[in-house]
Amino acid sequence: MMSPQIALHDPVFRAYLWIVLFSLIAGGALLALLKWGFKKETSSMWRTYCSWLIMAPLALLVVFAGRIPTIIGVTLLAIFGFKEFARASGLYRDWWMTGAVYAGIVTVGVASLMLQPHGEEPGSGWYGFFVATPVFAIALILLIPILRNRARGELQGVSLAIVGFVYIGWMFGHLGFLANTNNAYGFICYIVFATELNDVAAFTFGRLFGRHPLRSKISPSKTWEGALGALGVSMLLPWLFRFSFPFFSVWQLVLTGLIVGIGGQLGDLSISVIKRDIGTKDMAATIPGHGGILDRIDSLIFVAPMFMHMAGYYYPLR
Amino acid sequence: MKRWRYDSANDLDRTLVERLRRFPREPDMLVYGLRSLGALIIRAWLRAYHRFEIIGHENIRTNRSLVIVANHCSHLDTLCLLAALPLRKLHRAFPAAASDYFFQSIPRLWIAAVVVNALPFARQIHVRQSLSLCEQLLANPGTILVIFPEGTRSTTGETQEFKCGIGALVAGRDVAVVPCFIDGSFRAWPKGRRLPRPKRVRLIVGTPRNYRSRNTDKIDISAIAAELREAVSKLHQTNESH
Repeated sequence: MMSPQIALHDPVFRAYLWIVLFSLIAGGALLALLKWGFKKETSSMWRTYCSWLIMAPLALLVVFAGRIPTIIGVTLLAIFGFKEFARASGLYRDWWMTGAVYAGIVTVGVASLMLQPHGEEPGSGWYGFFVATPVFAIALILLIPILRNRARGELQGVSLAIVGFVYIGWMFGHLGFLANTNNAYGFICYIVFATELNDVAAFTFGRLFGRHPLRSKISPSKTWEGALGALGVSMLLPWLFRFSFPFFSVWQLVLTGLIVGIGGQLGDLSISVIKRDIGTKDMAATIPGHGGILDRIDSLIFVAPMFMHMAGYYYPLR
Repeated sequence: MKRWRYDSANDLDRTLVERLRRFPREPDMLVYGLRSLGALIIRAWLRAYHRFEIIGHENIRTNRSLVIVANHCSHLDTLCLLAALPLRKLHRAFPAAASDYFFQSIPRLWIAAVVVNALPFARQIHVRQSLSLCEQLLANPGTILVIFPEGTRSTTGETQEFKCGIGALVAGRDVAVVPCFIDGSFRAWPKGRRLPRPKRVRLIVGTPRNYRSRNTDKIDISAIAAELREAVSKLHQTNESH
């Protein structure tokens, strides 16, 4: 259960408050050292860092505010993330398709919010409907060309809409559904923190030791060194942050590390494939120093569902 | 297999504020939804708080391009004129708004671009560019331009001289020009007042005019501006006699 009162007394949430605060200060200190100590050019990194100074407290505040704000926040991120995808891919010109995807994303949010109408499942969130939403959303999307009696060029719109919904709406929506779990603070805070740290680590290791391009045709700036360094950090993190899920066994900690370390990179690369094919550098220019919302949440899109289903395989989620 | 062609938005690399400032803006479903919702709220507010009524509603029932010309002494004027349009035409209706006033500070910019769907009009320099933008818009059927030819809000409530630009826009062009008079908006919300007062506001829509046969020289242009001002004031007088 999540609520401001519970969050205040929850040792895990309070620990993450300190961890985020410490990370932000450490990051700032490191950048200051680079700038004044080593006289390095850091202006673009400062912009990225300043955006973190706003985003990190905002995310913590939403999680602090409770279950409903968390799910609504994730749904809004999915809506605006999909909007960026639609604008970049040209799908936004097709209002029926975009409308259907928006409706699907809202449905994912509602399924995470509501209680199961009947049956004995414990806790909040209608899990069965939540995992089944793609069925209905894809049916709705495929219905659109039939309703308007049009075939020419429709496959492109249908495909883009289905990718947009399943990838951004539903897979990312798992992060919101995690708010219904027994260990919501531990899961959500760990996932978000570890994934973002994985991104930062990949960037840092790539900058420091990067020699061999990871996928030269997809994202030329990513390197094997960066990816492996980030994987190392992500494999280590579950042990350091074991308090987030004290009931996890060693094997599950390894899985968590792999999901964040590999899934994060894959999420990043998948968005890069989309961007490369469309021919744009960033999805949008919403967040200074980061690009669009989608450029920020791309790794989470992979990590959140994999982690949730991994945890759900071993433990009752609610 | 043939490659897909992606028809991306033109302003992908722009920040949110730059995207609002650009014109024409990319169509955006969420913005359209917000605008329609805002229009419903504004209409309810005008009805309830200002006992708003429209006379001559039938004069703007057309699917062709329109130029709506009205007197201007309050921010309520734009809202009243927009309230006279059907909701689905709202997204093709562009009130010309001073770019030096509405397109600078972010809250005003947001209201101008999202709620009002304003067209940034440079009234001090580059007037000609703004006018040619208006002309391009009018070339698409179904465009509605809302123009206050006085150029600014009147501080006395009296209708000031009309600027010649309106004449240049409509002279020799086959477009319906609808003179309107807004009565009571000065009492309700004059320039310089923070919040509107609950005074009655009325919109009188005149019969459409057409200046297709007029020349585009200086004399005709200022004559058209004067005629339009006359038409707007006449609406006021006939309304008084009711």
